[in-house]
Amino acid sequence: MALISSILALRRDARILKIPPYLSALCIVIGIAWLLVLPLNEYSRNTYVSENALLPGQVHTYFTGSEHNVFRAYRQEVHAMIDRPVEERSQRLGDIFRSNNLKVATQKYSYHVSNRTIANENVYAILQGPRADATEAIVLIGAWKNMDDEVNNSGVALVLTLARYFKRWSLWSKDIIFLVSGDSTTGPQAWVDAYHDGHDERYVESLKIKSGALQAAVAVDYPAGPWGHRYDKLHVLYDGVNGQLPNLDLFNTAVQIASSQMGIGCAIQRMFDHRDSYKERLQTMLRGMVSQGLGHATGPHSSFIPYHVDAITLSTVGDGWHDEMSLGKTIESLFRSLNNLLEHLHQSFFFYLLIQANRFISIGTYLPSAMLIAVNFSITSIALWVASGRSTEPIPNPASTAPPKDDSAAKKDIAALSTESRQPEMELVEQDDHKALVPKASTAITERHLLFPLLSVLTIHFLGLIPLYMFNTWGAENLSRLYLTFANGTTLLPLVIAWFLSELRPLSTQEVTLIQCFSLLLLGMILAALATLNFSQSFLIGVLATPLSFVRKTNKTWLTAIQLGFLAVLNPVMVAQWSAKLLGADLQEVLVLAAQGWHVWGLWTQVTVWLIWFPAWVLGSVVVAGGVMEGGLVG
Amino acid sequence: MAVDKQKALLFGGAAALRLLLFTVFPGLPSLLAGRVEVSTPVTSFKRLQEGLFLYTHNVSPYDGGLYHQAPLLLPLFSLLPNPSHHPFATNLVFVVVDLLSAYALAQVAQSGTAAVSRLFSSSRRDLRWSSAAIAAGFLYNPFTVLTCLARSTSALTNLFILTAMAKASQGASITFTLALSFAAYLGMHPILLFPPLLILLYDARAAKSKTAPSAWSFTITHTLGLTAVSGGLLVASALLTGSWDFLAATYGVRLLLSDLTPNVGLWWYFFIEMFDSFREFFLGVFWLHAASYMPGLTIRLHKQPLFVACTLTGIFAVFIPYPSIADAALYLSLVPLFRHLFPLMRYTFLASAAVLYASFLGPAFYHLWIYAGSGNANFFYAITLVWSLGLSVIVGDSLFAALRDELDVERPELKGKEVRRI
Repeated sequence: MALISSILALRRDARILKIPPYLSALCIVIGIAWLLVLPLNEYSRNTYVSENALLPGQVHTYFTGSEHNVFRAYRQEVHAMIDRPVEERSQRLGDIFRSNNLKVATQKYSYHVSNRTIANENVYAILQGPRADATEAIVLIGAWKNMDDEVNNSGVALVLTLARYFKRWSLWSKDIIFLVSGDSTTGPQAWVDAYHDGHDERYVESLKIKSGALQAAVAVDYPAGPWGHRYDKLHVLYDGVNGQLPNLDLFNTAVQIASSQMGIGCAIQRMFDHRDSYKERLQTMLRGMVSQGLGHATGPHSSFIPYHVDAITLSTVGDGWHDEMSLGKTIESLFRSLNNLLEHLHQSFFFYLLIQANRFISIGTYLPSAMLIAVNFSITSIALWVASGRSTEPIPNPASTAPPKDDSAAKKDIAALSTESRQPEMELVEQDDHKALVPKASTAITERHLLFPLLSVLTIHFLGLIPLYMFNTWGAENLSRLYLTFANGTTLLPLVIAWFLSELRPLSTQEVTLIQCFSLLLLGMILAALATLNFSQSFLIGVLATPLSFVRKTNKTWLTAIQLGFLAVLNPVMVAQWSAKLLGADLQEVLVLAAQGWHVWGLWTQVTVWLIWFPAWVLGSVVVAGGVMEGGLVG
Repeated sequence: MAVDKQKALLFGGAAALRLLLFTVFPGLPSLLAGRVEVSTPVTSFKRLQEGLFLYTHNVSPYDGGLYHQAPLLLPLFSLLPNPSHHPFATNLVFVVVDLLSAYALAQVAQSGTAAVSRLFSSSRRDLRWSSAAIAAGFLYNPFTVLTCLARSTSALTNLFILTAMAKASQGASITFTLALSFAAYLGMHPILLFPPLLILLYDARAAKSKTAPSAWSFTITHTLGLTAVSGGLLVASALLTGSWDFLAATYGVRLLLSDLTPNVGLWWYFFIEMFDSFREFFLGVFWLHAASYMPGLTIRLHKQPLFVACTLTGIFAVFIPYPSIADAALYLSLVPLFRHLFPLMRYTFLASAAVLYASFLGPAFYHLWIYAGSGNANFFYAITLVWSLGLSVIVGDSLFAALRDELDVERPELKGKEVRRI
């Protein structure tokens, strides 16, 4: 009890109000430094397979010899389909599957996004496992076109060859589904949606045949033409939509099989030349975080992960001496491992950051950094809450002997005034055995008027729906123009809002403080919640929004100008612009892809940006811009 | 006149907001009705629909084992058009229920019994919010809006609890008895509100007439009245369903916790983990704990009966077997009645931050557990603990404030001084 009351007494100490900005800054510094030390050996671990049923690389692989001839033949067949219409292609692919005694079905899909139509057809075949009861299935995907829009000639041929090869084995205890999707992102999404009956029948056809619960999915991306191409490494892609990740066991199994059993090197996050230095580890981690933070689909596997189907894509890169048969063997061995599974992959990590193909950082180690960033907003918000309760009148120095300034009228009566009326009201504060006289104003709590600040924070957040709606529904041809208008508009928006407010309803200092307090409270809370769902997104937005903790309304014009300039650079719309340039992406394409993600993949990144980050930025900037109105134009 | 216009605007705005949300997001009600935070096995609208289907097909609604709500709801809702095709009428009913609840709450606020009762008058009684502001706090509380959108039947229970409070504070015996019987009939636990509200009613009656009625005969009459009305409701239910099976399916489920669907409360996780041999013992302990607050608080704070009733709703929101955000919404909208206690409360920011954090993290962790598969039940349970902590801090803090307020009146010389428990 004594402890609590002394903490409560501490709360009344005026000095305590000076600490929070430093505490916030400390949280940010530690949060970022925390991330920077993660690639060190002390904070990362070597990967290991924890599900002992998987037994990676323990089986002999038989995919050799005559299968190679079959593969070459299918590669030519697939090559001949390239310029054919979609229906004919599906027909021919179906025929090949059918000739291997597999059940075949097709699925048409046609999405309408940003005034464009994305239409194609999926072909899939089901191998009924000789020892299976159709309750579980694993999927092998060969998308017709890969993420770079090249025809996945050898990849599809490999899927066909493996279908023929797998059919002859009697050891499968799960069904195997071979899927040739029309493209790399929308096709698998349409298929997996329909597999779980989560599709919209206006755009996506229902599946005619199905198997059991999907346990895992592996996609092959091998765009070599009809004459083949020897590759150097396997690029393992693992990011799912909205930054969800597959179970680390699946990734480890693939890497272990490829590197130990087959001797193929593995790369992640486009780090093809990884020498295991600190810098490269950090770069890998940051690339992984950007990819996870954006939440976009990175391959055919991405769509499976939201349905709790662990999935990866194996993509061939570089020039080397590995051929299609070693890729086939890798997949064979991987499927034999998955075939051993007795239950859904659950043993290993679902939250991790990879810094190399065989080194990772687990959630317990990295989560605090995002949480610290989120906490910094909460700390500032608490400080602002306390500050809003303090009287706005300046606290006079009780020890001062100087008479109050510029009181020419008062000077005449100064003799008449009793000395005590000029003295500030004092109060006796007792703590333990110490007593002190402090000015009353420094401990008094004034009434807070919550309604207007609360309403304005909610309104601004609600208005985020407008850009969310516009960017997702406008036609692709108008998106750049819309973006330009928005970029200009939002830069001026805070000034406009501040001007309107100063004309219509000038805000009191307390209301300004409370607006910032609520805004930061909400931001901190949502970022903390987001950190558990998509760590990278929360961290990136948190770091980009950190200035919001420190900007304040001020009467100094130059300070306001600096703050506004700084905020303008960190405007979410501007961030999209410069980060696209930095990452070498075309903004127009990004906008179209984002709209596609919203409608097809169920991407949530836009919601975070438009309903959380953008409103928080607007509110912070309006608070600062209020200083312009008082300091410059109006005052 | 100005006040009436303000109230009309307030109620009209709340109704418009709800109807707008119903129309603009037609998928929202069904989504919310499936959320464990909003709909519990004993209040879910989906289960009500299931019961309705069985009832209209002349099968006992309790045969399916899914429906655990009061039988008398069935004829009421079977009068409305089928909500899956024509949801408007049902939606309208729930909007009206919310408006009536807010009206009752405004009446409670109007009566002023929160700060000034027969035996006690707070030294800070001038510090209060207008009844319109308090009604607005209920109508625009996001938790209330979500409950209304989910069409959870706890909205009805809340309506009857608030009506009972309003009628008790006005001294209207018969309507009070009726309202409380209905609340107890629908939700069972509101029966625990009877003693404090009876004191409230007694105070109101004593203030109205010059001579206070005899306490004993007053208690006996009202207890008999409550028993008679509740008995009547139960008999009517039995006649309606043709058997007494509904008792086991409704109150039995609430008492024995046979449905372990997760919710925001503390019971489900314990009873999932518990060995069967201990189940009966701990059911007894949990119920005893939840019910034991009533006598203690009623005796200690008998001078402020409305505060006891309000605190009990807060305790229900934490400790009953199937709580939802509707119970928290009821409590959180009653707390502003005690505006005069706010200066004495010490952890408002902490508690509200905990409640807010929990309301964001709760759905996130539930998603990780159920949909993403990357979390487990402990994630969600940890968050319900934080939620309960936030609510119980408000309950505890307001209790402290109420006791402190009483002390300030009894010992004016101690006002503003630090108190220390010895």
